[in-house]
Amino acid sequence: MLGKLAYRNMKRSAKDYLIYILTMTVVSALMYAFNSLIFQNEFTGMMEEDAVMPIMIGLATFFIVLIMAWLIHYMIRFMMEKRGSEFGIYMLLGMKKRTIASLYVRENLLLGSVALIIGCGLGILLSQILMSIMASMIYMEYVPHVTFNHWTILMTVLCYGGCYFLALFRCKRRFRKMNIHDLMESSRKNEEIKEGHEGIKKLLFPLSVLFILLFWTVFTHLTSTGEIVLFIIGLVLTIYLFYMGLSAWITCYVRKKGKGIYRGQNLFLLRQFASKVRTMQFTMGTLTALFTLALMGASLALVFSDYEDKILPVKFPFDVLVNSTDPEDNFEDEREILEKYTDTEEMYTYHIYTDEGNQVNTWMLTNLEQWGDMYRKNNGSSDMKKIQDMLKNGGTYCTYDTYMGITDYNHLREMLGYEPVSLRENEYAVQIKDRLKDDAKNIGKDLKITDKDGEALLSFGGLYTDAFSQDGHNGGDYLVIVPDRVLERMTPYYAEMAADIKGKAPADLQKRLENLTEEEREFDGDAAPALEGNSCIGSDNMVVYAAVNLVRDNCIPEVKVLLASVMLPMFYIGLVFVCVAVTVLSVQQLSDSAKYKFRYDVLEKMGLKQKEICKIIRIQLAAYYLCPALLAIVISGKLILTFSNFFVRATGVTTSFPGIYFGKSIVLFMGIYIVYYIVTYVVFKRNVFLKKFGQK
Amino acid sequence: MENIRVCDVEKYYGNSTNITKAVDRVSFQVEKGEFVGIMGPSGSGKTTILNMLATIDSVTAGHIYYGKTDITELSEDELSEFRKKNLGFVFQEYNLLDTLTLEENMILALTLQGEKRKNIQEKCKKMMRLLDIEEIKDKFPYQVSGGQKQRCACGRAMINNPKLLLADEPTGALDSHSSQVLLETFTRLNRSMGATILMVTHDAFSASYCSRILFLKDGKIFHELVRGEKERKVFLQEILDVLSLTGGEMADVR
Repeated sequence: MLGKLAYRNMKRSAKDYLIYILTMTVVSALMYAFNSLIFQNEFTGMMEEDAVMPIMIGLATFFIVLIMAWLIHYMIRFMMEKRGSEFGIYMLLGMKKRTIASLYVRENLLLGSVALIIGCGLGILLSQILMSIMASMIYMEYVPHVTFNHWTILMTVLCYGGCYFLALFRCKRRFRKMNIHDLMESSRKNEEIKEGHEGIKKLLFPLSVLFILLFWTVFTHLTSTGEIVLFIIGLVLTIYLFYMGLSAWITCYVRKKGKGIYRGQNLFLLRQFASKVRTMQFTMGTLTALFTLALMGASLALVFSDYEDKILPVKFPFDVLVNSTDPEDNFEDEREILEKYTDTEEMYTYHIYTDEGNQVNTWMLTNLEQWGDMYRKNNGSSDMKKIQDMLKNGGTYCTYDTYMGITDYNHLREMLGYEPVSLRENEYAVQIKDRLKDDAKNIGKDLKITDKDGEALLSFGGLYTDAFSQDGHNGGDYLVIVPDRVLERMTPYYAEMAADIKGKAPADLQKRLENLTEEEREFDGDAAPALEGNSCIGSDNMVVYAAVNLVRDNCIPEVKVLLASVMLPMFYIGLVFVCVAVTVLSVQQLSDSAKYKFRYDVLEKMGLKQKEICKIIRIQLAAYYLCPALLAIVISGKLILTFSNFFVRATGVTTSFPGIYFGKSIVLFMGIYIVYYIVTYVVFKRNVFLKKFGQK
Repeated sequence: MENIRVCDVEKYYGNSTNITKAVDRVSFQVEKGEFVGIMGPSGSGKTTILNMLATIDSVTAGHIYYGKTDITELSEDELSEFRKKNLGFVFQEYNLLDTLTLEENMILALTLQGEKRKNIQEKCKKMMRLLDIEEIKDKFPYQVSGGQKQRCACGRAMINNPKLLLADEPTGALDSHSSQVLLETFTRLNRSMGATILMVTHDAFSASYCSRILFLKDGKIFHELVRGEKERKVFLQEILDVLSLTGGEMADVR
């Protein structure tokens, strides 16, 4: 009998809390799909970095389980309150509290299982979409097909069960404390409007607005971790206190009989909004926090995806590039492999030279914006001790400056399809990463490059910013290009070989080259190079792919998969957080629509047309939905702008406006938002006009 | 204002297999400035009649005229407009908006009519003084007694000078003292403002304040009492006599 009752109740709850079920289904589908990336990833083993994905998804899952537990806990408590009088009746009939509790738990588990089963079904489809996305990233054909994997299902069930376990943990205790009278009364009670010291609370509103303004102006200039932590704590407080202030502010405005309340339905709307925000202030704060995190997650994912699209082709301009710290290396073995496995058009061996000085390195460290004043003394002069230390041990730049002859330079340019450059006998040029071109526009004024005898000064002949593989291969960040005869007074620093191959490189080419390097190392026991410190990685600090051998067609998929391992879990978190947050908003509103239906009846009796009442509902829902979203946008906006500015500076992604990532993620979330908004509106309307439709 | 005429009104509920006749060919007339009561046991159709007069329920057959306007012919939107301009409501459950203070409940009624701010303030003040709720105007409905709530509801209903005030069991949830105060308020509104009032009740004491009473049973009017110049006590006795006749039910006679 109890089973039947639980089943019936579950069916009814499913109808009442459709949105909640919908979210649970969507989340379990997402869970399944992302878990399938851990257990069913058909590309596992193809990439070097494929351990990153499971770790990141695992991390995301942890947060998602926590937030889902919160949602379920919230809903269970919420439904329990709404059904108080029903439980009261059970108790009157003589049911034991323990029985009721287990009935309720059973109902919820039943409900959850239904969502889980449907969700897994959807998840199978979703996982195929994810796989296809992954496949297109690494340039592989993928034919979607339905597969079951018991590990994926087990993991999904465990995560999902974990959420329920956490949520139901203290549920029975709550039942033990119930009493029949309170239960029967609970549904009859309206929310009491307790207005205390609104005059004081009201101040919180301008205070939180002020804090947000301060945050917008000051946050970028914060340097110490302590200050940043302090600001973040301030933000969290603001998020929660904002709502207290807002509702008090509106209440005071209405009490003062501000002009606005005498217009149309404003009075009703303002009061309705203020009272809802007041009773929900803590939940609203939490929702704002969720939105903030979700927006940040999605924006960061978009930042990385943009980086991937724009930077990767620039990062690897050469088909193959091999480095050797031994300047005498003639790359015999590498040539052999390339000839054997690829159709090479050209293989070109050349040297990077050095004058064993470090005026260019010093200039870079003291003039690039990213270093700030790190390598300057208080009086503005270069801090040579720090610079020497950095050049010896930092790895960003080689210990000595890096030079290249004009003939090599033009030959490489030709290989890449760039126009050759001309340099007069008394000129030098600088080849630098595109992202540094603004910082380096004055480089010609300060450098003193001398001719082959080391006496006459060369004059500055131009700055070139074409993509040139400058993460350690063709210098770190920069190369000074000099006439060939100047090289006579310099020493070869390290050797490079660039190859141009026809068609695509085989997928294992890079691995073969790497094996070779390891063999060599074993063979000559890592022979000491001619000059120390001749390998570096440049100053890019977002994603650095430093390797001795670069095979473009192997590297790009590798980096893409690595980036995807960060991006996909971020989207995952973002999506789940937004769904959870809007579900709470919707469920709250919908239960109100049933409980406070009489408010709209009264309005109707006062002569409002149905159309006007619908408009009130729309405005009310919109205000209620937008409030946490707007606050979250304002807060996360600054954080994301700061980050994307930093990202643009660090990576040189040419984006006209860093806010674009943010804009895109807002659009994405607004899409989800609008779906929930529309569903809520439709159900809300149905609840409010229920009796009328029933009558007709 | 013209009188209100209810002509041969019928109301059926249910579907083809199971029809309930809630109101069965009822006709009556309410003159301007009258205070009419409708009495009857539960299920007699009194609230249904009130709802149809209130335009919140439709008739199955028949006509209801407010002066020359036949409200059974009006569209949904026209009805809303009609309600806004002509009718005021008082219900047993007060139906005050719980998020608004007593004063704001009245203000809202006026802002919905598009009144000017100054007018609104003046009218509210006057009405609150008339109903003696000035001191509690900033309280929320849950903070005041049932009687005070109901007086506020009256105020909200009357503040637009409606042509007809409809009251459905207004004293149903009140104690005897509050009921008395409320009914006296009704009488005052009726006399001083010339308000036409139609009140549904099953309480003889409340009904005794009316100037005329229609007795309803099984959807039909079966009796009518007019107070005329009679003392209220005498009128009450008459009502009780009629009730004892019906309350004793025909079963006793059989």
